[in-house]
Amino acid sequence: MSLQVFATLLLGGVAVLDATPIAQTLLSQPLVTATLLGAIWGEWRVALEVGVVLQILAASTLPIGSRTPEDYASGGVVGAAVALTIASGQHFLMLDDAAALLGVLAGLVTATFGVPLIKWQRRRNEGLSRWCEAEVRRGDAGAVGTAQRAGAVLAFAVGVGYCAACLALGVWLLGPLAGRHSLPLARAWTLAQPLWIGLGLAQLLQAFVQRRLIRAALFAMAMLATWLFLMVTGH
Amino acid sequence: MGRLKSRDLWRMALRSLFLQATFNYERQQGLGWAWALQPALERLYADPVEVRERLAEHTAYFNTQPTLASLALGAVAALEEGRAAGEGPDAVAVARIKSVLGSSLAALGDRLFWFTLRPFAALLGVLVALGGSWLGAVALWVCYNLFHLGVRFLGVGWGYRAGTAVLDLAQRRRFERLTGALALSGTMLAGVTTAWLLVPGGEPRPLVFQAVFAAGLGLGLVAAARPRPSPTEWALGVGALCVAATWFR
Repeated sequence: MSLQVFATLLLGGVAVLDATPIAQTLLSQPLVTATLLGAIWGEWRVALEVGVVLQILAASTLPIGSRTPEDYASGGVVGAAVALTIASGQHFLMLDDAAALLGVLAGLVTATFGVPLIKWQRRRNEGLSRWCEAEVRRGDAGAVGTAQRAGAVLAFAVGVGYCAACLALGVWLLGPLAGRHSLPLARAWTLAQPLWIGLGLAQLLQAFVQRRLIRAALFAMAMLATWLFLMVTGH
Repeated sequence: MGRLKSRDLWRMALRSLFLQATFNYERQQGLGWAWALQPALERLYADPVEVRERLAEHTAYFNTQPTLASLALGAVAALEEGRAAGEGPDAVAVARIKSVLGSSLAALGDRLFWFTLRPFAALLGVLVALGGSWLGAVALWVCYNLFHLGVRFLGVGWGYRAGTAVLDLAQRRRFERLTGALALSGTMLAGVTTAWLLVPGGEPRPLVFQAVFAAGLGLGLVAAARPRPSPTEWALGVGALCVAATWFR
């Protein structure tokens, strides 16, 4: 268990690094981190259910310009990890569904409260930039590399720390709740899961269609053709 | 001191991965930009004082879409090469060209990478994962990075060879065609995903699921037309309502 928690927190740090400071390869996306956590914890179903919902909601959250988007890198890791921690040990369907619901909620709250932390880091980096320019003008060209390393280390440390705090708080608050009230929570999951997926899918659709009639028609045709294909062939 | 070698361009491409390591509100990618350009400056200027002067100049404000920043890096390295040989533009002109390149590339890159490719890759991953397969994450990652890492690594050389003409009309049209094609594919993928959610494996979902999913789609379309509340805030509200509805039933 402790090794799994350690790997989870490490993944939290790596995901936060990938989200903005380094490479932006989408390793930080909830579906990717949830799949990795599913492998680490040996529980695919719950991890993928949480990952799919958070991913579809995260996909329309974009880092454009200086806008600070919700922190889905931490949210994805914490959401899947809270669900996996609650579901681990006892495997019955109702608890799995309750864990998935609580995991998604924990992920969304983590993503929302991560915004001030990202803003704080960016303000720290402003000071780092000014210091760096002054050092370079004073004669130390290596200051740029030092500042870059400091920025990356700060982001990783903040990512690990924030994920640890949110995971601990999430499991402490939500763990007992899932055990005692798994029935209403599992029922809430059957309502919330399609609502969340629909909500996220509509945002993506809006981004693709952009009020163009031909694209809307294409969406309808693709849906109808797939629906017919699935109904006829049963695949 | 000399011309840039392919080794320098590769070092710049690798460093471009760290473009946003010190991202901030004041200079945005400025520091990362200077660090990525450092190998070129060290190759081009013999005098360390001159290297430091150029480096300090490049720590100023810069912002663009991070993937396409590679093209701007290559183009500005070519400008610096001319400047070091005494033929190129002065500091003010370099800053102006950098700014124009940054905003043009951001306009194209935001549409291509953030508004289209990223949602497309996410949807593809979700569609695969809905079948219960871990390959969804692989599909998402590979689909995005074929373009993203490809442009990141090859873009510096491309920008260097093309110089300030890196975003000529033909190039812009190519990017726009790619964005349009991806948006069309994404629209169809959304249709396939919707159908799969309603009748997975040819087995229709319960009516309650279909109705709630349709309500979610409707709510999402209404929410997408407004900047506030954000999709995350909508999702939190919806989740809290669902818990309350089943709790007090």
